[in-house]
Parts: sequence; structure tokens; C-alpha cells
Amino acid sequence: MRLELDIQIINKLGLHTRAAAKLVKLCSQFDSSIEISNHKRRANGKSMMSVMMLAASQGTKLKIVVEGKDAGEASRQISDLFESRFEESE
Amino acid sequence: MFTLHGTGVGFGIAIGTARLIRRLGQEVPEYSIQNEQADAEIKRLTKGIHTATECLKAYYEDIRRESTDEVHAILDAHLLMMQDPVLLEQSALIIRERLVNAEFALQVHCNDLQEIFQNIDDPYMRSKSDEISQVIGRIQDELLGQRAGHSSLEGIQEGEIIVTHDLMPADTIEFKKYRVGAFLTNLGGPISHTAILARSMRIPAIVGLHEGIRYLKSGDTLVVDGKRGVVLVDPDTAALDVYERRAAKIQRAKKELESIKYKPAISLDGQTVQLNANIEFAEELSQSLASSASGIGLYRTESLYMNRQEFPDEQEQFEVYSALLYSTKLPITIRTLDLGADKQVDGGRKNMSLATNPALGRRAIRLCLHDLTLFKPQLRALFRASVHGNLKIMIPMISDQAELDQVFIVLNEIRQELTQENLPFKPDIPVGGMIEVPAAAVTADIFAKRLDFLSIGTNDLIQYTLAIDRIDDEVNYLYDPLHPAILRLIKLVIDAGKNADIPISMCGEMAGDVECTRILLALGLREFSMDSAVISEIKQRVRGTDINEIEQIVIDLLSSNDPDHYRGLIERINRLSNNENPSIT
Repeated sequence: MRLELDIQIINKLGLHTRAAAKLVKLCSQFDSSIEISNHKRRANGKSMMSVMMLAASQGTKLKIVVEGKDAGEASRQISDLFESRFEESE
Repeated sequence: MFTLHGTGVGFGIAIGTARLIRRLGQEVPEYSIQNEQADAEIKRLTKGIHTATECLKAYYEDIRRESTDEVHAILDAHLLMMQDPVLLEQSALIIRERLVNAEFALQVHCNDLQEIFQNIDDPYMRSKSDEISQVIGRIQDELLGQRAGHSSLEGIQEGEIIVTHDLMPADTIEFKKYRVGAFLTNLGGPISHTAILARSMRIPAIVGLHEGIRYLKSGDTLVVDGKRGVVLVDPDTAALDVYERRAAKIQRAKKELESIKYKPAISLDGQTVQLNANIEFAEELSQSLASSASGIGLYRTESLYMNRQEFPDEQEQFEVYSALLYSTKLPITIRTLDLGADKQVDGGRKNMSLATNPALGRRAIRLCLHDLTLFKPQLRALFRASVHGNLKIMIPMISDQAELDQVFIVLNEIRQELTQENLPFKPDIPVGGMIEVPAAAVTADIFAKRLDFLSIGTNDLIQYTLAIDRIDDEVNYLYDPLHPAILRLIKLVIDAGKNADIPISMCGEMAGDVECTRILLALGLREFSMDSAVISEIKQRVRGTDINEIEQIVIDLLSSNDPDHYRGLIERINRLSNNENPSIT
């Protein structure tokens, strides 16, 4: 299964270290491949360094492509994480 | 015995044995391997990453309880970077394609990553490239350790003196664990990472030894005098004896202060005093909070502008201020740019001519109002960052009401701009002024009506009032914070604050001078801001002071007409019993 998500970052600090860590940990739980891209770079969602390279700040639009048998569950949890502002108080 | 000289930072004296440490930036060995060795080399890499990860995890467990959330987040990120599947994949590819050893393959990959990170627009993420080097460096250390039979930091003994080329930001975490005695580095200045780390660990360090460490070997007996910036190598018994006694004395005083760290700053007669910290770098925040500061009374923004070609733009400043404000709920007073006089920018502004008398020239708010392209980005950044925490904005060196009019016009423009651009900001950010020009102190009542708070900057106030240049050896004996003129000016400002019902604080060096604390308390000052290193000492003095008892003596002091009588009164104030009341806890 292949799913595509369009997500806009709403939390204030964007994909800063703590948020990136949560995202990478979540992605690593799934078998599916997860690719996150902004307008200029593509990142493996399970790779901390590549997610950091996105340097995605508040307002950035990301495309996330999830491919594999647990793609449905993975996409649901990933969009929940973005929506919950990475469970950080702001 | 011989001595080495550098810039002394941190605290006190350390006596111990030298431990030389290889750090990042030093050569990673490169050698070729045979085609059929590639699999074994990749296996060695995998194992190295695994062991380095286990070590970091064990260390993480070790310090989990005693460290802050901020440190957890850093370690957590480092663990993820170390286990990054792309790191292994890419390095393995380099081993296979270029037939090189694992350490070198990691270095090649690390250099690629560095290049990418250097080109990231976001300064916060860009700064993470140092951490990536450190994480990869740990794996390399592990791999090299397997070959040489030991790892570089393993087996460091408590009290050992770390001798190394330079320290990196994340070393902060590592060295705290080992309770080392001191740091000696070739590189670095008074505001380097080593200096900040040493201050936060309350140990001495000598930086900027300029290759001096090449004369040292592991096991040498060293005396490190952080105050004077001197290292004694293999000291003779007489020198060692003197230093041992001095070190013991410092240690006793330190223990005493340690015991009141978490106690409140309340005077013997029950009055609460706020003790804030002055900081220059965002990194110093956690250290200030650890010193139980009740907030940041002065964040100097000049360091953002110095030692660089281009001034930081609005976005960069926004990110720095946001991160700072975001990390604590306590109030943070950020002072707008105070460049000029003793703080000249070295890069960029070629047309900023040096005035003959810079202290009286176009500096601080005068410079900012003259050049709004300098001032407005900073104010916009501050306003935008205000939503992330408890911000107060402080205008330095204000001396004239017309200047304040102009500042208010600029502030209003910014509010309108941001509203139009739909960018969020707090509408009620307190805006205060720094009282450091005698004219402002004398008219403090007028400023107090127009501003939300005032903060007395004593360094300049004393220099301007007494007409003394503090760095001029020929006159600096006249520099006296307790000069009657200074005390009267301070009283004017404090009284103006009381009448207008706004807070008055003091952020100059006088606020951290224990000889002045009681007099300032008696004058009515209840908010002090100082280097976090002296907070405990000042708190000890506050807790040993009966303010009521001193108030009358200070009234006599302000009207004393005899210098001997004046000095006598000050001595009497400072000599009064300072035994803490045991009932205050």
C-alpha cells in the first residue's frame, strides 16, 4: 500500500531536535518505508540526520510518502503527531 | 617547575594530574583495505556503532535522574543520530566503493553531512552540525579504541586536569559526569564553550594556551590558578603548599554557599529579595537557573553581533530569542543592542568611525535610533519571540525624553507592521529603561512615569558620575561604587520607582558586590541582577541582613559630611552580625 500525506507544520518551533526525535522514533516503529520531503530536500523518516536536514519551520508544507503493509496505521499516527504539535506545551 | 600562561576563566584553584585527551579535529587514520576485507570492515563498523550506542545509553541511564529535560533531549537526539540507518548505509557504501577503513569512511560521510548542514538557512539547525561531528567522533573513538585497546575518556579519575586542543559544546554533558578538576585548552577565549562549561561546573580553566599543552604529558602534576591564568607544572613543595592552603580555603567557602542554594533570598526581618542572573549567551540560561536565579535580569545581545561580518537578521535573532524564552517560564529581560564604547563590532560596519571619546559618543540607543536598519530587525524579532515566554525589553543608555518619544514611535510602527503581516506578538510586553547616565538618574521620576520598569546600570553610572575611566590605571583608584554621589543617585531612582509603582532593579557589577548589598537593601532595592556565579554569595548576605536595623544608619550615611565618619558607617553596616536566623529555611 502507498499513501501520500500533505502536512503543514503548525507547532511554533517546527521540526526542532525534540520534535524530529519524536517523529523519527515513531517512523522507526513501522515496516513501511517513509519518505518526507519539502520543496528542496527528501528525507528518510527513520533517519534522524536527514530529518534534521529538512530544517522545517512553522508553516512549512511537507509531503510524506508511506509505502508498505502497515502504511495505513503509520500515516494515521504520523499525522496525529504533527497535529498534536509533537505533544509539547507551547 | 615551570609555568604556562593563558586566559584564566572559571573558579578557584585546582591541583591534580594532567590527562591528555584526543578530541575531534585531530587526524583520523586512513588506510586501504582489500576487496575481500570489505565485509569484515563493515562488520567492524556495525559493531563499533553498536558499542558506542550501548556506552551512550549506559551513560544516559547514569545521569538521567540528575540532569535537566534539556540534557535528555540532547542525549536522546544523539542516540538517534548514532543509530541512524542512513549513517550506517552510506558509510558501508563508502567502505565498499573506495576500499577504505571504517573510521575514514565515517569521516568522509561526516564531511558530506557538514557541507549540507553548513548550507542550511536555519541557524539553529546549522549549529547542529557540531553535534553530528561529535556523535560520529564517538563512533570513531570507539573504533580506534578497539584497535588501541582503550577509549579516550574511559578511566578518567575524579579531579584530573583535562588537557586538550579544544572542547566542543556537547562535551558539557560528558565531562560533568567525571567531576574533573580543571580544563586546559590551546584554543578558546573568555566566552568560549570551555569557559562556559568551567563556570557552570564551578571549576577553573585556562584557555588560549596557544600550543602550550605540547609541553605537558599525562601524569604531570599541575596547579591551575583560574583567577590568574597560570599553570604551574611540577610545582616545588613550597609552591604546592601555598596553593593547597588557598584551595582548601576556597573549598570551605564553596561548601558553605552550596548549603543555601535552594533556600529563598529572605532577609532576617522577613523581606523577600529577587536575585536574577545576567547572561551573555543563551547557553548560560540553564546554569543560571541551576544557581536558583529568579529570572534573567539582563541578557546582553551584543554577542550576537560581534565577531562576524554581517549583522544577524531578524529571523536569526527571532530564533535565538524564541529558543531562550521557550525554555523557561521565568521572566527574561532582553536588552536591545548596546554597541559602541568598549564594545566595538569588529566586522561589517566599516563606516562606523571610532569617536575620540566613544563612551560619550553615538552608542547604545543613540546608535540604534540613528540607524533604524540596525534597531528595527531586533525589535521585530523580540516582539515576534514574545509569544514564547515571559519577555521584558530594556532600552540601554537612555538619557533624554525625546529619545524615549522616538523609541515609542518605533515600537508603535512595529506593532502596526506585525499586525498587518498577521504575525503574532504579545501586546503588553513590559518596556523598561536602563538608568546609567546621571541625567537619567536625576530625572528618573519622569522616566518612571513613562516606562514599565527601570534598571540601574552601575558600571556606566559610576564612570559617568565620577568622571573616571575604569580601565585607566592612573585614575581607577577613584572608582568607588559607595561614593555618596552614587548612593544618592541610586536612592533617587529607587524612590522614583516607588512613587510610580514600577519595579526597580540593578544589573551592574555593584549588584553582585557583597560589600554593597546591605546598603542597597537599606536604600530600598529588592531586585538584583548579577553573574550567576555570585548569586549564592549575595543570597547569603541577604539572609544575614536585618534591613530595618540598617535603614537608619544608611540615612545617616547619606547626610554624612566627614569622610572618616562615612567610611566608619559603611564598615559598621558590613560588620553587623550576619548570622543567619536558623528559623528561616
